[in-house]
Amino acid sequence: MKRPFSRIRLSALLPWPKPSGGPHYSVCHVCDTLFVAEPLPEGTAATCKCCGTVLYQNRPASLARATAFSITALILMVVVHSFPFLIMDAASIRTTLNLASAAVALFDQGSPILAGALALFTIIAPLVMASGLIYVCGPLMIGRVAPGAVHVAKWLNKTEPWNMIEVFLLGVLVSLLKLGKVADVHFGLGFWAFGALMVSMAAAVAAIDRDELWDRLEVAKS
Amino acid sequence: MSESLPRAANLGLAGCHTCGKVSPVTLGLCPRCGSHLHLRKPSSIQRTVALMVAATALYIPANILPIMTVVELGDVTENTIISGMMTFWRQGAYPIAIVIFTASIVIPLLKIVALTWLCLAASGRLHPSPGMLGKIYWFTELLGRWSMVDIFVVGILVALVQLGNYMTITPGPGALAFAGVVVLTMLAAMSFEPRLLWDRLEALRTNSPPLKKADP
Repeated sequence: MKRPFSRIRLSALLPWPKPSGGPHYSVCHVCDTLFVAEPLPEGTAATCKCCGTVLYQNRPASLARATAFSITALILMVVVHSFPFLIMDAASIRTTLNLASAAVALFDQGSPILAGALALFTIIAPLVMASGLIYVCGPLMIGRVAPGAVHVAKWLNKTEPWNMIEVFLLGVLVSLLKLGKVADVHFGLGFWAFGALMVSMAAAVAAIDRDELWDRLEVAKS
Repeated sequence: MSESLPRAANLGLAGCHTCGKVSPVTLGLCPRCGSHLHLRKPSSIQRTVALMVAATALYIPANILPIMTVVELGDVTENTIISGMMTFWRQGAYPIAIVIFTASIVIPLLKIVALTWLCLAASGRLHPSPGMLGKIYWFTELLGRWSMVDIFVVGILVALVQLGNYMTITPGPGALAFAGVVVLTMLAAMSFEPRLLWDRLEALRTNSPPLKKADP
């Protein structure tokens, strides 16, 4: 079925829909207080009356922002993997570091578990987050549900705490200071792209509330 | 906690851990996302304690064993987390020394202490004061990941410093132990159920007044 363009735009900017039936409830995950989940104006958050935890937030243009920032993040990932992070000149040898080479070096030096952990936290988790958000939020913008989107959305929840790109960025800065004494180290394009990747990943994850994402999935499926 | 606010578990309702939908717990599976429904995370105190004991045990080799070995012109130096920090401190790089000290030593210890405290309070051995303990819990969940910074530094240095006879850096067994500490404390924080603190408080509130009356 072909949808007119105006319908498509409308669907993407539609405010947070609620599934049919109701009333809808929300439970505070810290103190277990039950609330009726009232619709919120955009840009505001509902907090628990009992303990002050944020229950849910209504972000403006949530689907569009989550998709846009995730696409930005994916493009930046390509840049991050193509250009070196740090370039070091020491003892007339030039060594360059990119994101994957840290994991590869650990693997080569006999630490496969550490290499796997590093790859998981800095390469795989951000990739899963960004591509998963695109897969779920993109089709939702035109009111569709991609096949298996429910499973992908569940994986997004599981992956989020293991996405540690901001910690890796701090690690790069610490390494730079450690090496400053022994060698001439400077930043490559990959470093700046990685900084931008960190910002866009954070923006993509913060763009849509978990409850809103799941409500939209439920509405679009019905 | 005011008396008027209803608690979901008392009504047999469970908020899905994955998607947040509130359903009767008797359904077993969340009708929206298919995850298992629980009123409380299952055996959360046991899991948290088990993961924490493992993390505490690993914390010792993580600090004693070298996280990396530097071979510079034939001289072998074994770096531990503490010696790496001390080097920065001696060089006068105080901010970075403090960052490493906080991320690698203070945060893991703080997490272990905080989670022990939370588990004691949740199992009724300490007075539950959910306001403050809730903040501690939130803080430990937020900060845990930053401890990984030392592992990333090892990875970066190992990748960059392979200069043949001049200088090479290889990862040490301490790094693996330390990564284990960070992952285990993160898992421990995730498996803890903060609602247990509020359950304790509710039990105290509903049971203790009659007990006090019965005392004299």
